[in-house]
Amino acid sequence: MDTATQTDTVTLTIDGKTVTVPKGTVVVDAAKTVDIEIPVFCYHEKLGPFGCCRMCLVEVEKMPKMTTACTLTVGEGMVVKTNTEKVEKAQKGVLEFTLLNHPLDCPVCDKGGECPLQDNTFKFGPPDTRMDYNRFNRDKATPLSPVITIDRERCIACQRCTRYSDIIEKDQALVMRNRGFQNRVSTFNDQPYDTRFSGNVIDICPVGALTNTDFRFTARSWDLTNSSTLCGHCACNCNMTLGARLNEMKRITTRPNDLVDDGWICDKARWGYDFTKSKNRIAQPRKQGQVVAIQDACSEVVVSLKKIVEAHGPNSVGFIGSGYGLNEDLYSYQKLFREHIGTNNIDHKTYVDTPGLPVTHFDLLDVETSDLVVLIASDPTEELPILDLRLKKAVERQGTEMIVLNDQQTLMDKYAALSVRYNIGSDGALLAGLNAVLQGQSAGSDLESATGVASSQLQLVAEKIKTAGKVCVIYNPAALTGSAIHTLKQCLATAGGLAETAVGAIPAAPVTNAMGAMDMGVLPDCYPGGVPLSNSDAIKAKWGDTAPLEKGWSALEMIEKARSGELKALVVYRSNPVVDFPGGRNVEEALGKLDLLVVHDIMETETAKLAQVVLPSNGPGFDEGTTTNIGGRVQLRTKGLTTDNPADWKIVSMIAKELGQETAPKDVHAITAEIAEKVGGYQEIKRSAIRKEGKNRAVVPSSNGATASEEIATGDGLILRIADVLFSHDKILDAESNLAHQFQPSTVHLHASDANGLGVQEGDEVSVSGNGHEVKAEVRISNRCNPGGAVLPKVSDEQDVMSLAEAGKAISRVTIKK
Amino acid sequence: MTEILFKAIDTPNLTSLDVYEKTLDGYQSLKKAFEKTPDELVEMVKASGLRGRGGAGFPTGLKWSFLAKDVFPRYLACNADESEPGTCKDRELLMKNPHLLIEGMILCSYACQIETGYIYMRGEFWEYEELMDTAIEEAYAKGYLGKNIMGTGFNLDIYTHMGAGAYICGEESALLTSLEGYRGEPRLKPPFPAVEGLYGKPTVVNNVETLCAIPFIVLNGAEAYAAIGTEKSKGTKLVSVSGHVNKPGNYEIPLGTPTIDLIEKYAGGIRNGNKLKAFIPGGSSVPMLPASKADVPYDYESLMEAGTMLGSGALIVMDDTTNVVSEALCLAHFYMHESCGKCTPCREGTRWMYQILSDIIGRKGKPEQVELLNDICDNMAFKCFCPLGDAAVAPVVSSIQYFPEDYEELIASLKSEQPVGAH
Repeated sequence: MDTATQTDTVTLTIDGKTVTVPKGTVVVDAAKTVDIEIPVFCYHEKLGPFGCCRMCLVEVEKMPKMTTACTLTVGEGMVVKTNTEKVEKAQKGVLEFTLLNHPLDCPVCDKGGECPLQDNTFKFGPPDTRMDYNRFNRDKATPLSPVITIDRERCIACQRCTRYSDIIEKDQALVMRNRGFQNRVSTFNDQPYDTRFSGNVIDICPVGALTNTDFRFTARSWDLTNSSTLCGHCACNCNMTLGARLNEMKRITTRPNDLVDDGWICDKARWGYDFTKSKNRIAQPRKQGQVVAIQDACSEVVVSLKKIVEAHGPNSVGFIGSGYGLNEDLYSYQKLFREHIGTNNIDHKTYVDTPGLPVTHFDLLDVETSDLVVLIASDPTEELPILDLRLKKAVERQGTEMIVLNDQQTLMDKYAALSVRYNIGSDGALLAGLNAVLQGQSAGSDLESATGVASSQLQLVAEKIKTAGKVCVIYNPAALTGSAIHTLKQCLATAGGLAETAVGAIPAAPVTNAMGAMDMGVLPDCYPGGVPLSNSDAIKAKWGDTAPLEKGWSALEMIEKARSGELKALVVYRSNPVVDFPGGRNVEEALGKLDLLVVHDIMETETAKLAQVVLPSNGPGFDEGTTTNIGGRVQLRTKGLTTDNPADWKIVSMIAKELGQETAPKDVHAITAEIAEKVGGYQEIKRSAIRKEGKNRAVVPSSNGATASEEIATGDGLILRIADVLFSHDKILDAESNLAHQFQPSTVHLHASDANGLGVQEGDEVSVSGNGHEVKAEVRISNRCNPGGAVLPKVSDEQDVMSLAEAGKAISRVTIKK
Repeated sequence: MTEILFKAIDTPNLTSLDVYEKTLDGYQSLKKAFEKTPDELVEMVKASGLRGRGGAGFPTGLKWSFLAKDVFPRYLACNADESEPGTCKDRELLMKNPHLLIEGMILCSYACQIETGYIYMRGEFWEYEELMDTAIEEAYAKGYLGKNIMGTGFNLDIYTHMGAGAYICGEESALLTSLEGYRGEPRLKPPFPAVEGLYGKPTVVNNVETLCAIPFIVLNGAEAYAAIGTEKSKGTKLVSVSGHVNKPGNYEIPLGTPTIDLIEKYAGGIRNGNKLKAFIPGGSSVPMLPASKADVPYDYESLMEAGTMLGSGALIVMDDTTNVVSEALCLAHFYMHESCGKCTPCREGTRWMYQILSDIIGRKGKPEQVELLNDICDNMAFKCFCPLGDAAVAPVVSSIQYFPEDYEELIASLKSEQPVGAH
């Protein structure tokens, strides 16, 4: 957007008050700035002008007819009147029309108490109706999808929902059918409206027509205890309100924060919180399968750890955390292991990544102010849904151009000016080629044979990067293979050095607080704030002379060391390696060899079954602390529910105390404060500063590893790509989930040429085997990847697809048999 | 009689290109047009004083000159969604002289530098679509359509597109939305179609009759056309006369002809020797007038001055056996049925009006309902999204204004069993 026009303002008069607003503002919004309320139904600031409900009619001097304030853009010197007799009559008239066939069943309506139709009628409406005919009867409670119920009698046909589906979701899944007074919100052929973002229509419906099936008739809105919290699923950290009654989660609604979610949440955020009341929660601590008091469980952990450290040294102990923890919990854990055990065997991930960026860390808002977005190995639709909406907005409405580089087809390709599909596993080679081209060199003669991408395509990518003013690179480090992340960062450094281009990046690992876990130093080779072990002076200055400086084992190495017997004790926090780590079931055997396995988690998992000590983690809904999203924005996640179990950090603190820590933090805020003091980049992160919209943490220093050139070993079979799925049937979305209708069957996506070679057809039931394991899947000949690859979406825990992947290998191969 | 549009209209096989060329100097205007620059052609149409014949009466040449400068492609959408009750003039042109429209569209497209034109026809016109498609094929074969027309380098393709039976699609922005394949609902204006129309590009939307007048103007000059009619209402107008006349039908008149002449001289007078009671001069969307105003000249300004409009040129005549409430009810039903439902007052108001009028006609009305009806109309008029809402109230409000006694009679006759005036 042109900054000059953005700063241009217009001055007008509304009801005698002088208002100065940016050019292009509509009168409804201008009036808000001087506390004049012009009532609306159809207008929504994220959807733009429409003008169908006619509720916002105003008089404007020099205009012969009344006009709708939501469609009228402010003009210099415009004189608007919102309180004349004529306007009041119009408002009463429109409200009388609006209510003409509305059932007025407010006493049993979910919207009651938070209903714009009630409120506008209260403020602007006629006290009565002159209608003395029977109201038009229409379908009451009708499922629009398994989670949304429509009450067609209450609908006032404002078209907010259908326009949301069109403008925001870009699906046109929800449409108006029939005409006149018989028009109705519907879908093509009455198919279910079951998109990834369908639930937002409930929040924007100005009446009780679109209701949350799960919430219907379970509570009055005014009886809910609402807490301003964050979503704990993906790494966007959307803002949401958790409504609880009698300490039970009742519903989740949007809590707009333009800097993060742009006012929307995905359906996983809205309906993915059944786990707060799931029977599969780890309700109480256990020791050897027996329920014990938390103090006893902690003591058991301490006694065993001490014994093992004494016998085998501190490096026989390890910690595998995860990006699902809050900053405070993760910070406490790494501190426990570094300070009180004395080891750097600390990690939270199974892929290669390093803290920091060689370019600016862009926030989510930068996506739509960029001229070019380069999406690398990222599938926002499945991994970071709210980013999907932001990208669509950027491309379709803000004039941003998008380039997609991926080894698989994604829904983002539709919006891309250029989609580059490289062979699975060739990301390192592709990025090395891109780096060379950006530096004005040749991409190398073997680029095409190695990656499946013509060098002319890379030239085009480089050309676009060089000529765009502002470039936002979004990449998913978890989907890169081998050490391709290092090559990617070299690319970023090269692009960052271009004279004409302002380059920034968003590291888009999908897990809630993946960014925070990096920042908090849940890494074997970096202290919090991205301080590498080589920087011993800085480490000693902050963490004392006894701070361990020896490089620790990565999460995958810890599994292997457990297998070899070198690792004796492991604490696993909010992670389920048996299902989620490459190697899958092979991990089970390794963990079985440990002298001590402690699992600290929300839900019962395959890994928890193997543990000697199981500790309950509270998780989203119950916990309180900060998370850092992919844009580097640190926000406060507050609790909406209470539990008798201690907070996660508290359990860590109890263990630390027994291991000799003298002062314990008095509450979670004390840890937030300690993070501000000790973690580079977090100096400004104060509770008061982040309460409202969050705050971006400062830049974390960038360190980059060396790139290893990884030849893709030739072999039999197809190269495996495991793809994330938003609604994966796992522990969080269990069989009881409201979103069970979104679960997908196990499928394997093949290129037509490979399917031909294998003699398989669309829909065939096949066995996919690799790494000594076998997964059943249905064939989809979708050309989702280049020939030679096979894409398996990780649709459930039960599917066990990670078992097919070889731990520690850049690529794994699978064979497919009918 | 001056005949421009209906000249030799009943010639057998006029729909074939050969007959059209032989009978009517068919396509002779093209050569003349191609000798001029597009801008000169626009100026010519401006000078002719031709105004849009679809209903609004906006000067055609001016409309063409409003096209966003230097934005291409541009489109022409011919509005053949003739659905206004009482109006059937475009149908006769489409049915009997399709080449006249094609010729007009070629001229308009040349003047406006358009290379793609669409004829949006109402769903019920499927027969004329076949006829039109045949005519278009003939024009292609003869080189009047397609690439490099008559060696000028000018290209034009014309397509027919059928509506699905919605009156609202005659509203120009709803027409474009429907043409794009979406639900036919009017769009927000501005932007006007001349700036952002079909597929977001500058678009001319003209009525069939408007476009059919262009060949005469080009062939005979703007002055020849401007010589017909009144000072501000130039040229001829097709009027569909319907209702209680002896010879209902389409008549071409010079604008400014007294309305009473249309009824008496053209349409053969009132049926059964009855007296004129009321008339709606411009289709169902304009206010009716009582017989006392029947000498009003049939042109844009005079009708406006008389408190109504020329509209689409459909003169609906009612004799003195009529109770105008039955007319109001009939039209209220039409507008209820045709409201697209987008905006609240039109969606809800048209139905409420119909309910009340049904009660009154059914002798269940209450005296206060007439006032209520008037107030509902007031709450709709100029408060709806598009002119359909204004149109819906026009016949009702005017019927109450001029014939309150018709309402009183029905309400007062609660117990009487007398039949209501014929309809």
